[in-house]
Amino acid sequence: MMNLSRSVALISLFLLPLLSFSFSVDNPTDQRVLVLLDDLSLKSSHSIFFGSLKSRGFDLDFKLADDSKLALQRYGQFLYDGLIIFAPSTERFGGSLDSKSIADFVDSGRDLILSADTSASDLIRGIALECGVDFDEDSSAMVIDHSSFPLSDGDHTLIAADDLVKSDVILGKSKIEAPVLFRGVAHSLNPTNNLVLKVLSASPSAYSANPSSKLSSPPQLTGSAISLVSVMQARNNARVVISGSLQLFSDRLFRSAVQKAGSPNKYEKSGNEQFATELSKWVFHERGHLKAGSLVHHRVGETDEPAIYRIKDDLEFSVEILEWSGRSWEPYVADDVQVQFYMMSPYVLKTLSTDKKGMFHTSFKVPDVYGVFQFKVEYEKLGYTTLSLSKQIPVRPYRHNEYERFIPTAYPYYGACFTTMAGFFVFSFVYLYHK
Amino acid sequence: MVKSTSKDAQDLFRSLHSAYSATPTNLKIIDMYVVFAVFTALIQVAYMALVGSFPFNSFLSGVLSCVGTAVLAVCLRIQVNKENKEFKDLAPERAFADFVLCNLVLHLVIINFLG
Repeated sequence: MMNLSRSVALISLFLLPLLSFSFSVDNPTDQRVLVLLDDLSLKSSHSIFFGSLKSRGFDLDFKLADDSKLALQRYGQFLYDGLIIFAPSTERFGGSLDSKSIADFVDSGRDLILSADTSASDLIRGIALECGVDFDEDSSAMVIDHSSFPLSDGDHTLIAADDLVKSDVILGKSKIEAPVLFRGVAHSLNPTNNLVLKVLSASPSAYSANPSSKLSSPPQLTGSAISLVSVMQARNNARVVISGSLQLFSDRLFRSAVQKAGSPNKYEKSGNEQFATELSKWVFHERGHLKAGSLVHHRVGETDEPAIYRIKDDLEFSVEILEWSGRSWEPYVADDVQVQFYMMSPYVLKTLSTDKKGMFHTSFKVPDVYGVFQFKVEYEKLGYTTLSLSKQIPVRPYRHNEYERFIPTAYPYYGACFTTMAGFFVFSFVYLYHK
Repeated sequence: MVKSTSKDAQDLFRSLHSAYSATPTNLKIIDMYVVFAVFTALIQVAYMALVGSFPFNSFLSGVLSCVGTAVLAVCLRIQVNKENKEFKDLAPERAFADFVLCNLVLHLVIINFLG
């Protein structure tokens, strides 16, 4: 009996570390990442990028893309929290991986970094299409820019791009000064899709065409419609980065100096390393991940949450929102969180004020409409996880003894009624006793 | 022409006045009461036109009390007037008792609805 309990304790001790080996609600940063390569030399040619990931605590698992033992799930449990696919020319993945299993992976809330390069196989294009990104149909086309190239380049397929999205969450607080070097394929985003976002766009003079043959017709993808690196944040807050260039992550481009043609600024180091590092911090949920506590509401002057409100009540509303800093939950500070008091349409829309310690609060009067309302907080800020909170509360009309009495405007009517009664009294006396 | 019409109006008014003086006193008292009630109702309507109908139930209650009691007084006058053949057999005390009872019910309703 003692032996049994001892062995159970030992087994649970072994299990405990395994249980904390993935991202969870309390610790949203990914921990185990599968890296698929089509050539193992990428481990050394992209060592700075992988090294920065390892130094931040990620557990990288390098595998060849056609390894027959590849699996993302086993017995219904996901084995990895993040997936990096640096295998642009792979036609088919080995093992149990295919575009459907990768779609399921993202559907479960896990993150993905996908990169194409000068050639992108149909498999990679298919995965990108699932995420809302359209690579150029022409498989030999690359992005060419005759005015935004670094001075060292010959055929203008290496581009120095500096049209970055303005978001401190996605790209970090410090501005990326040097241009980002890029050589690869173009992709475009559907403008009606509001989940994808262009992080690095091409300049207006870029176009996508085959660099070694003459153009016979105007290129389809031109200008700023070309996206070089895009991100997608799904509705379940899974984050996907899709890049048209694998070389963007390489050590060679990380280390090279840049001087953009037509610009006097010469940079010792391109912006690639800062760009790639900050983007990987965002995609693996080290930054920009919000968590909200429950919505708290009560009448002014009370502390308990009532089961029902009356019209024209004064109420106070508060919610706690925390932001993950990579290691701990910090209070979230913003001035654009709003709450709606909603029944088919928002009757009240108020911006919440914060005490800078994570609590957002406001107070308002319940509208003069009764029914079943909801407190709704729908927060969708660029680069942050979406917060969609709601709490239902009914609102009743006045009880028969809660109406206003002795309204000053109505004094004449009160007076008239009592005068009539007095008049009736006097009249009956006069009528009965006149001579 | 003008002189004759104004003389006609004066004659009409004088004849109406003399006919009315012939009515019994109790009927005249009832008439005064009706005029008082209708006058009070008109004041309330004018006030509502000025200020708006905010406590509409109070307005209705006030006007109804005046109009209701005026109507009841008119009924009393009809029943008590000796020239009415219909109510020849109705005792005037009975008519007055009906009037008082109906007024009581009316004022009860009014106070309830006054808010």
